[in-house]
Amino acid sequence: MSEPSGDLRALVEQIAKALVDTPDQVSVNQVESEQSTLLELTVAPNDLGKVIGKQGRTARALRNLLGAAGMKFHKHVTLEILE
Amino acid sequence: MPIPDKIAAANKINEFLRGVVLQGGLRLKYRITVDPPLKEERDWERPEILVEFSGPDSGLLLERGAELLRAIELLALEMLRLPGNEHEKISFDCMNHRAMRLEELRLSAGVAADRVRKSGTPYQFAPMSSRERRIVHLALREQTDLYTESQGEGSRRTLVVYPKNYKPASHPVRKSIP
Repeated sequence: MSEPSGDLRALVEQIAKALVDTPDQVSVNQVESEQSTLLELTVAPNDLGKVIGKQGRTARALRNLLGAAGMKFHKHVTLEILE
Repeated sequence: MPIPDKIAAANKINEFLRGVVLQGGLRLKYRITVDPPLKEERDWERPEILVEFSGPDSGLLLERGAELLRAIELLALEMLRLPGNEHEKISFDCMNHRAMRLEELRLSAGVAADRVRKSGTPYQFAPMSSRERRIVHLALREQTDLYTESQGEGSRRTLVVYPKNYKPASHPVRKSIP
């Protein structure tokens, strides 16, 4: 198989849109540096709970997935959920 | 109650996983089966939708107690908005890991039961998810000389096996706040 190519920003956006009640208000901003990627996720205020989850479980699962994907791209990925 | 529209649920899972594989760069294949045939008659974990991963990155899914596999499963369950007690209707597996883990839990339940019978003292398991605790509760429910209970909160919640008429030697003194 060839080198992985992908778009983590698009992945976060896709997942967040599937989790929330108001997908129109999901946006993800990507801040790139040499070794790391910062993804800033914004959702409608009443959807915050949906992306964070009980005891932060959903956010943790999302970060976990991004961590694994980041390894594939040799990047350290940080997800910030903006309030 | 079965999942209302299994085909729609399977399609939603497929869309999610296609994103995970394409955008996340994970070298994985997956197969989604609705109403998978079960090898045996059993009343525990009868998934209505089974997702099986394979491919070069399978090992990554199974690291640290299948942390990534569980994370992907949790995201899928949240997207489908299934209530907590219906989570076992959907099962994510890779290289038969889930099936082996279930067998391991049932064996551990048996060993714990023997130990409690012999020693007359309770046995406490390591913290487990609610799905795994349920497997142990069910594995021991026909043992009339024992009972099981969960204690603790959140990620520290653990299952304890007690002898039937167990009385703790001394109750901790409870201080009341005036």
